[in-house]
Amino acid sequence: MAYPYVSDHEVRVLSRYFGDPAQRRVDTYVERGGYSALKKAFELGPEKVIDEVKASGLRGRGGAGFPTGVKWSFMPKDSSKPHYLLCNADESEPGTFKDRELIRWDPHQLIEGCLIGAYAIGAKHVYIYCRGEFFEANSILARAVEDAYEKGYIGNDIMGSGIDLDLTVHQGAGAYICGEETGLMNSLEGRRGQPRVKPPFPAAVGAFGMPSTINNVETLAAVTHIVEHGGEWYRQFGTEKSPGTKLFCVSGHVNKPGNYELPLGFPLMQLIEDVCGGMREGNALKAVIPGGSSVPIINAEEAGRCTLDYEGCVDVGTMLGCASVIVMDETADIVKQVRRMVDFYAHESCGQCTPCREGSAWTAQILKRIEDGRGTEEDLDTLMEMTQQMVGTTICVLSDSVAAPVQSSIEKFRDEYLALIRRGERVGAA
Amino acid sequence: MPEMVTLTIDGHEVSVPKGTTILEAAKSIGTEVPHYCYHPGMSSPAMCRLCLVEVEGAPKPMPGCVTTVMDGQVVHTQSEQALKNRRGVLEFYLVNHPLDCPICDMSGECNLQDYVHAEGREHGRGREPKRIFGRDDFGGDVLFYGDRCVMCTRCVRFMSEVEQDHRLTVVERGNRSVIDTFYEEGLDGTYWHGNIVDICPVGALVSKEFLHKARAWDLTHTPSVCTGCAQGCNIDLHTRDNLVQRVKPRENLDVNAWWICDYGRHGYEWMNRGDRLEAPVMRSAGASQAMAWGDALRALLAKADGAGPVKAIASAKSSNEDLGALKRLVDALGGGDIVYRSARADDEVPLKGFPTLARRTDLTPNATGADLVGASRVGDDDATGGLDAVSGHDGIVIVLNDDLSDQGEDFGANASLFVYMGTHASAGATHADFVLPISTHAEGEGSFTNLERRVQRFAKAMDAPGMARPAWLVLGALAAETGGGDAPRSAADAFAALGRSVSAFAGITWEDVGTRGALLNESVSVTGD
Amino acid sequence: MSDIPFKNPGWAGNTGEFELSEEEVRGADFVGDRPADGGHASGAGTMPYMLAHKEPEAPLFDGAYKDRLEKILSRYPTKQAALLPALGLAQEIRGHVSPASMDEVADALELSSAYVRGVATFYTMYNKRPVGRHLVQVCTNISCNLAGADEVVDAFLKYTDTELGETSEDGNFTVIEAECLAACGFPTCVQINSRYFENVTPTEVPKICEHLKAEGE
Repeated sequence: MAYPYVSDHEVRVLSRYFGDPAQRRVDTYVERGGYSALKKAFELGPEKVIDEVKASGLRGRGGAGFPTGVKWSFMPKDSSKPHYLLCNADESEPGTFKDRELIRWDPHQLIEGCLIGAYAIGAKHVYIYCRGEFFEANSILARAVEDAYEKGYIGNDIMGSGIDLDLTVHQGAGAYICGEETGLMNSLEGRRGQPRVKPPFPAAVGAFGMPSTINNVETLAAVTHIVEHGGEWYRQFGTEKSPGTKLFCVSGHVNKPGNYELPLGFPLMQLIEDVCGGMREGNALKAVIPGGSSVPIINAEEAGRCTLDYEGCVDVGTMLGCASVIVMDETADIVKQVRRMVDFYAHESCGQCTPCREGSAWTAQILKRIEDGRGTEEDLDTLMEMTQQMVGTTICVLSDSVAAPVQSSIEKFRDEYLALIRRGERVGAA
Repeated sequence: MPEMVTLTIDGHEVSVPKGTTILEAAKSIGTEVPHYCYHPGMSSPAMCRLCLVEVEGAPKPMPGCVTTVMDGQVVHTQSEQALKNRRGVLEFYLVNHPLDCPICDMSGECNLQDYVHAEGREHGRGREPKRIFGRDDFGGDVLFYGDRCVMCTRCVRFMSEVEQDHRLTVVERGNRSVIDTFYEEGLDGTYWHGNIVDICPVGALVSKEFLHKARAWDLTHTPSVCTGCAQGCNIDLHTRDNLVQRVKPRENLDVNAWWICDYGRHGYEWMNRGDRLEAPVMRSAGASQAMAWGDALRALLAKADGAGPVKAIASAKSSNEDLGALKRLVDALGGGDIVYRSARADDEVPLKGFPTLARRTDLTPNATGADLVGASRVGDDDATGGLDAVSGHDGIVIVLNDDLSDQGEDFGANASLFVYMGTHASAGATHADFVLPISTHAEGEGSFTNLERRVQRFAKAMDAPGMARPAWLVLGALAAETGGGDAPRSAADAFAALGRSVSAFAGITWEDVGTRGALLNESVSVTGD
Repeated sequence: MSDIPFKNPGWAGNTGEFELSEEEVRGADFVGDRPADGGHASGAGTMPYMLAHKEPEAPLFDGAYKDRLEKILSRYPTKQAALLPALGLAQEIRGHVSPASMDEVADALELSSAYVRGVATFYTMYNKRPVGRHLVQVCTNISCNLAGADEVVDAFLKYTDTELGETSEDGNFTVIEAECLAACGFPTCVQINSRYFENVTPTEVPKICEHLKAEGE
């Protein structure tokens, strides 16, 4: 029962109780089987929990798709230093709106996943770094955490196990880059949220200089179910290399935008046509951004071949990212939308690395000029070449995210740029 | 012996200790990888992205400043990929740079100019309006030209990591990022902030004092030693038209690394003083007569014969060579007390991030040298008083490089022979029989001994006015005439003579001292607070 | 609250397939005004909000705010980590983060004022200058933009008779554009103080504004 619409194609694991306000209450959550996975984890022991997560093939849902169990196993086993688990709830990638739903509809599912993760990596304290703008969702989460403390699911001697875990909800303050894991750590420590140079990696030197692991909200929520039902159970969904279910955030020109939980490997066109009720007003599909604004745009033909798993997206020259499917119909103005996305990255660039700091703003300036009908064809060459200088040359991948929409749109929708350059004509209304 | 790692950089095999960065390894074989944010004295944020080099097998170009070497690594700093990257980054730097080199103080010694000239694009592609930050007064001696800034944050890190007074920060983010202080707070009340001007790789941070004073290419750089305190910071004097235009630190990891304090940096104006003594003057029967050095010294020696016991005033601002020659002359004339006066501050001003460096309480460069030749300190912490025993002395009075500024016209009135060797006239020298013009340390060669007993040489940065001569030359000649032996013909000779007469200096040659200094045998270890 | 003429997905049957009240969607039925503080490390009870009522001259970290700051400090291994929450509290009281506020926060956390300025200016949620009682942040990023967010911005500007970033003459509204608010399936999303308003269309803008004025909070 994803939210706000429902589809028969869905496999509702994480989103089962979306739209059910009762699920927020700890008693209801426990009645429905909640916190049994945590108990099971305590019985299994940290090693077996990690093994189970490895066996499930769960890949990080924040965008990079790194195997979660493997990430956990990087944490030092014999270190006397405090370890931290950080939950990345700084959801800000344009097109993405799943974590807020997970937090506000099923907070205990996330809390339980956080506690299991912390136990597995030997952390005593979990910080959930929530996006600052989520006042309402954060209030729900904080209240749920408070309830879980009252009931003895967090705190000292959890459920008589002798295990102590603390969990704090931490608010961000408005910076997309704090969704980058080391930027988040800097922000948590009260610094400017600038990504750190790696190495050292967080498992060695993370938050407060201590070994840390950071996982996305959806990843940790899935852990709850994987520990509950086992890794093999999780593998029944999805594909060999991309197992499990995934929340797909569909926005843009479809009839029923929203969150849909589907097995990975679901065909993109089926998502648009069958799940989301087709294109708005029966318009023709022009372009899709399948993984949030940081991934390359694909055209209708590529969309027709695209399956929604990590590999299927790469096959058509894009990435699954965090499965934020932005759909554009024939009325969409590609140049304007690309310019708007680049404006976003220029606004959110932390300003450390030169290619990103200068390049993102310069790209936005050139795109604006083209959009205003004052561009030249040489500008397109300049854009292609200079954005290439922004790929792989910076500390984090924000500047790569500028290149993705610019390069892919110039390659695939060059005509729209040329129309503006030659005649000052704009395609589409918005 | 540290574990060594062998790698190949641009086809050259190089072995460096494990943990060395690629940038430092390249430097060790004379290859400079262009960089802005890296500075050996501070942490490396790896954010300028200029030092990206190609490492075979790595998926992306690697920042040389933070990537440590690995055995068998093959690094290319001049490959197509590395050059392409630098060309790209340099273009980004110029997108909003005002290109105001003709009015920029950094022009001629600017890393952006140099790098773009060497490896940048021939023509810029920027057509967009430039971002404008304008100019900001950071207080102290620092002006900030935001538009020239390359955001390397060296200045921010210097203030937070080295001076450890977090006055500077990056404000805002993205391409609106700019260096600033806390609104109007500025840098006033910090004592090492001049260093941020030095480490700024471009013309963003400039010295108010030096603003539009001289072009970099017109300046002559001469290695010297700071005379501001007993630390003995290594500096370069930058001169033009026989005037010191500014002082810059000279790297010496054993003494001051890359830093100097603001007192030392701005304490050079006295070297440019115009009202100098320019000729030897003999005063006889109330009449003053300028004369040639030879005549003056012959007359002086004639008058010294049998003139009685000596009392001498030396100076802790004089070189080891001057002090040694004075000591030899006093001994040759039958011996006597040598005293000196020196100013003392109440407190040290430490550089917190570099514990062996501080502006010391002893505000003279060579009190150690004076002590070692047997002089004793008199007077108060303002370098005044303490001269009563000398003032009325009826034998020979020799004053070296102490301007007697607190003394009246009756100083030395009873002396049988009063020799005043100084740089400028003084009321205290009214009764001097001989007023002999000497050069400053900037005008000749010599050495000082700092508080940890490190002897450090300075070179001649400017010409002495008129007939002024180094004191060691004058005193050495007089000592040789009186007590025998050879007169020193060079500072090296004078230093060798010092080694023969003062045991603390024995066994160290002028070459040993070199440009890095040499510790005397009985050195003392020094740390800050 | 029930007469608020705006839509949340699922609520009032405008969109979606759920029958939910606004309280249920927002969680007000569960949380109340603020999550109760049971004395645990959750963060409840110390969370900063954006309130319509602002007292630019009020003292920081007095009374209840002092307790909140102390609780925040108890949850982190370093004092510095309390900086973002502390700035949030300052803004909750005063409505924006002024240089004086930065200075006071720096004192409270033993940080340099310049450092605090550097951090405060990095984050967009700290208002560097005073704003109206209601800070209207309209998402104009791609998903909302495709749904006509620019017209929603125009509608707000027209109603409030302001330019972007200006405060209306009556002091009620400051309208700015915001980056993606993570409600892309419910465009156009508008954040007004601590609340999200979703599926906003230009025709609803005057109604929302009038409701907020009437609420007078």
